[in-house]
Amino acid sequence: MAIDYIPRSFTIVRDKERCIDCGCCVRQCSNECHYFADDGKTVLADSQNCVACHRCVDLCPTHALRIEKYICDYRENANWTAQYQQEICRQADSGGTLLSAMGNPKPYPIYWDKILLNASQVTNPSIDPLREPMEIRTILGRKPERMTVEEKGKSTIKMPPQVVLETPIMFSAMSFGSISLNAQKSLAMAAKNLGTLFNTGEGGLHPDLEAYTDHAIVQVASGRFGVHKEYLNRSRYVEIKIGQGAKPGIGGHLPGEKVNVEVSNARMIPVGSDAISPAPHHDIYSIEDLRQLIWSIKQATDNTKPVCVKIAAVHNVAAIVSGCARAGADIIAIDGFRGGTGAAPTRIRDNVGIPIELALAAADQRLREEGIRSHVSLVAAGSFRCSADIVKAIALGADACYCASAPLIAMGCHMCRTCNTGKCNWGIATQRPELTKRLNPDIMHQRVENLITAWNHEIKEIMGGMGINSIDSLRGNRLMLRGIGLSEKELQILGIKHAGE
Amino acid sequence: MKYIIIGASAAGLACAEQIRKEDAAGSITVMTGEHYLPYSRPTISYYLKGALKPSDMYLRKPSYYAANGIEILTDTPAREINRENKTVKAGRKSYAYDKLCICTGSKPFIPPMKHVEGKANAYTFLDFAGAKILKQKATPNTKAVIIGAGLIGMKAAEGLSKICQSVDVVELAPRILPSILDEASAKKVQKYIEEKGHIHFHLGDTVKEAKSKDKRITSLILNSGKELPCDMLVLAVGVRPETQLAEQAGIETDRGILTDPATMRTSDSDIYAAGDCTVSVDMLDGSKKILALYPNAVYQGTAAGSQMAGGNILVSGTYAVNAIDFYGLRICTCGLINAQGPQYTDKTAQHGDRYKRLIFENNRLVGFVLINAGENAGIYTSLIENRTDLAEIQTDIFDTPSLFMFEKAQRQKRLKGESV
Amino acid sequence: MKKVYAKEELCLNCHLCEVFCKTAHSLSKDVIKANKYEQPAPAARVKVYGDNKLSVAVNCRHCEEPKCVKACITGAMTKDKKTGIVSVNEEKCIGCMTCLAVCPFGCIQTGKFAVKCDLCRGEDEPACVKNCPNRALVYTDLGGAEV
Repeated sequence: MAIDYIPRSFTIVRDKERCIDCGCCVRQCSNECHYFADDGKTVLADSQNCVACHRCVDLCPTHALRIEKYICDYRENANWTAQYQQEICRQADSGGTLLSAMGNPKPYPIYWDKILLNASQVTNPSIDPLREPMEIRTILGRKPERMTVEEKGKSTIKMPPQVVLETPIMFSAMSFGSISLNAQKSLAMAAKNLGTLFNTGEGGLHPDLEAYTDHAIVQVASGRFGVHKEYLNRSRYVEIKIGQGAKPGIGGHLPGEKVNVEVSNARMIPVGSDAISPAPHHDIYSIEDLRQLIWSIKQATDNTKPVCVKIAAVHNVAAIVSGCARAGADIIAIDGFRGGTGAAPTRIRDNVGIPIELALAAADQRLREEGIRSHVSLVAAGSFRCSADIVKAIALGADACYCASAPLIAMGCHMCRTCNTGKCNWGIATQRPELTKRLNPDIMHQRVENLITAWNHEIKEIMGGMGINSIDSLRGNRLMLRGIGLSEKELQILGIKHAGE
Repeated sequence: MKYIIIGASAAGLACAEQIRKEDAAGSITVMTGEHYLPYSRPTISYYLKGALKPSDMYLRKPSYYAANGIEILTDTPAREINRENKTVKAGRKSYAYDKLCICTGSKPFIPPMKHVEGKANAYTFLDFAGAKILKQKATPNTKAVIIGAGLIGMKAAEGLSKICQSVDVVELAPRILPSILDEASAKKVQKYIEEKGHIHFHLGDTVKEAKSKDKRITSLILNSGKELPCDMLVLAVGVRPETQLAEQAGIETDRGILTDPATMRTSDSDIYAAGDCTVSVDMLDGSKKILALYPNAVYQGTAAGSQMAGGNILVSGTYAVNAIDFYGLRICTCGLINAQGPQYTDKTAQHGDRYKRLIFENNRLVGFVLINAGENAGIYTSLIENRTDLAEIQTDIFDTPSLFMFEKAQRQKRLKGESV
Repeated sequence: MKKVYAKEELCLNCHLCEVFCKTAHSLSKDVIKANKYEQPAPAARVKVYGDNKLSVAVNCRHCEEPKCVKACITGAMTKDKKTGIVSVNEEKCIGCMTCLAVCPFGCIQTGKFAVKCDLCRGEDEPACVKNCPNRALVYTDLGGAEV
């Protein structure tokens, strides 16, 4: 037996008094942690492969299961932590790049938690959203520089294409391939019912989602998978993906085993072939090149679709955003370094990029300074955990937000961060038919809708407390924000005052 | 319309109920020579062994008949059918009919045996009355001998073995339950019953004569020379269709009453027959045979009743299907289990106390014998009934049958409960 | 009539329908007692066939013309005229399993008596449907429509 240098992560604790040996856990665990003893009846568990996805815990009819952290202490060392030692062992085993899923888990500052919101007292009245209208309708797209009217007062401006959302929350790009069709369909259904948009990612558009094209953002990424004229036109807007928060500067790789017939049709690639998205777009080496692609897409869509450019939040994000705006983008999405992914090289995920809060504030500030803020809508992405995060993002200057992890959690994701294994027990990040069927879109779209509806209520409540009755009045309204425990520099970049000021 | 049904067991009751479904107004009279409202004949052995209360043997509640306008005349044996006047004579009265159904069932067949006839302690075991007598007479010390190891004989033996310490079964054939078991499975079942029921079998043997005292049999001498002490003799050699009434009325018979196999109409267009008294055509090999089985009686009674009332239900196809248990051993059989001929093949799987034998005709299932392996047997039955080509079957035919035997479209149909 | 329909494309093979069917047909109505301690052990009337790849929960179709009712040799199996529910009178049933031998769907389980779905006898929603985590079982009046 080869030595296993890495202790397991979790222990499955079974309460034998409660366990009825029904075998539900055995049949549900794709990591094969649970199994029947030789008698074919008694259920046992081997915790070695447990990823703490809680599928067994949540489905156990008698609540007999619990997952606990397996603690196997190393000699204390603040530098050589257990994690680094284990990662070294893993690489010593494999000789390969470490892969991880979901967003950056490292304890970098989360500025949302260091920003506080304002509320009205005495000098201006707060608003009760249950009694008075509260507008969170959000409109994305390039706004004209100035208004021109004919004599009778009728506008002579030809408005660029606009996107009307009933909530500032959209679903970020997750391709069919990285997530299951059922998961994507759930998001599409929820988007339709909520009056918002879902994003196809780079996976093409599956024919089953035909009914949701008015609520689809279709992506054009470096692999150009699934891109053709009809694809571009079957959308609400088109997004050119330059980068992703979880892995700036890195392309994508959907392993061939996930490319089944359905995925291959949607992506227009052979079954079983690896879908490799190059790190750069090989036709975009400059802002001018980007301009050409934007222009081509607008031509292909007869100027009816706004074009969005999505970039990862990196060091000179403000200048890049400015360049994108000047290249003709109608919407710019900035993805912070805590943004999720199905698979990213661990070192990239954990060390590259900057927080969305700083990137957003810097970009908004830069566009204002250059007088082109109204040329583009800004969409912030990269880990919104609750409605307060959304409110803060909008006050920092975002027009809307992309959310992915939160709706996934609503659909059953437990952040076990093993999307890359393709064994997702909740039927989300997998293409195995026996797992994808576990996600019933009829149930899950409702849960996602419930989540966003709840957030909408909370956003309205927070706005009401501030005495604001329209989300337009909140946008870029940094007076509503105060920093807590932040340095002068951080406050300066965020463009907010410290609490108490 | 005046409907008369002679016989109030499975076929007669099914016939009456079907008539009522299709003709709300007609008068329905069911006459039976028995003293009881319709009860389940097969349950008499459960009554004998004490597993069933008499009140649970009745097929319907007593109030059911009045509520549904079905007149049941008990203790009214039909004596004569007058086809010219269209009447049935019973007792002193004569009953007029427009449509008549004969459901007279079976009568016990008693082979000639020396010194047996007319003895006070020789019984048959066919109806409730007979079962009541046996239950009354049997005591723990009774030495019971049953002649015949068919379904009735074995059920009588099982029932009596719960009361009497000594039970012997004499059977001319070399094995028990010849009508439902093949040789190999009969051996298995016999062994099980010997162990569980302490029943002694005398196979390939028969009673030569009886010794008696004061009109009571005291012992039996078998062909083999064995002498069995006996103070209760149960004659269960077999049954024959009860055709006397039909024959007297000039209705065509051949062992049983001959009918159209789909409509159950006899040679007289106003007279139908259903149940054990008729000759059935086995859909599986086209042979004419007596299939004295409960489900068949119900299917035939239903079809006869429908036809009599102007409806269109037909007997869709007749084949043998039987399920029975002895001391917890469950036997389920269907179709041609003793088929002879080059076109038949069979395969057996045995595992512990489970036994599964499937009989095939070319690429079709035509029969099965399942012992303690009856899970979802009805799916096998449907394969037999529908003459399904086994090439369409998706799983191993020897696996426990399930809907996954069928390809998706078929399976979905069945999941929706559509008739197949 | 309303019946339970199974969608195999959503069946998780978790067998929770069986667990909760047993519970609903137990004396204690407690999931642990019913599935672990109660004697005689209550029997599930719904049964899941197949494996993780393809599975489906099968229970009684409550046919219009039930073969089991016709074949029942004791009159224990009846179809209720009002509700359409096909059920077994356990007092009358002798456990001969003739019903099982004729049911073309495989919906009857062996036990001391014939064991089969009774649609939880008038509950708003049978236990199997209520507890199916993926709505692979639906309780509806199909009226010939698609599930």
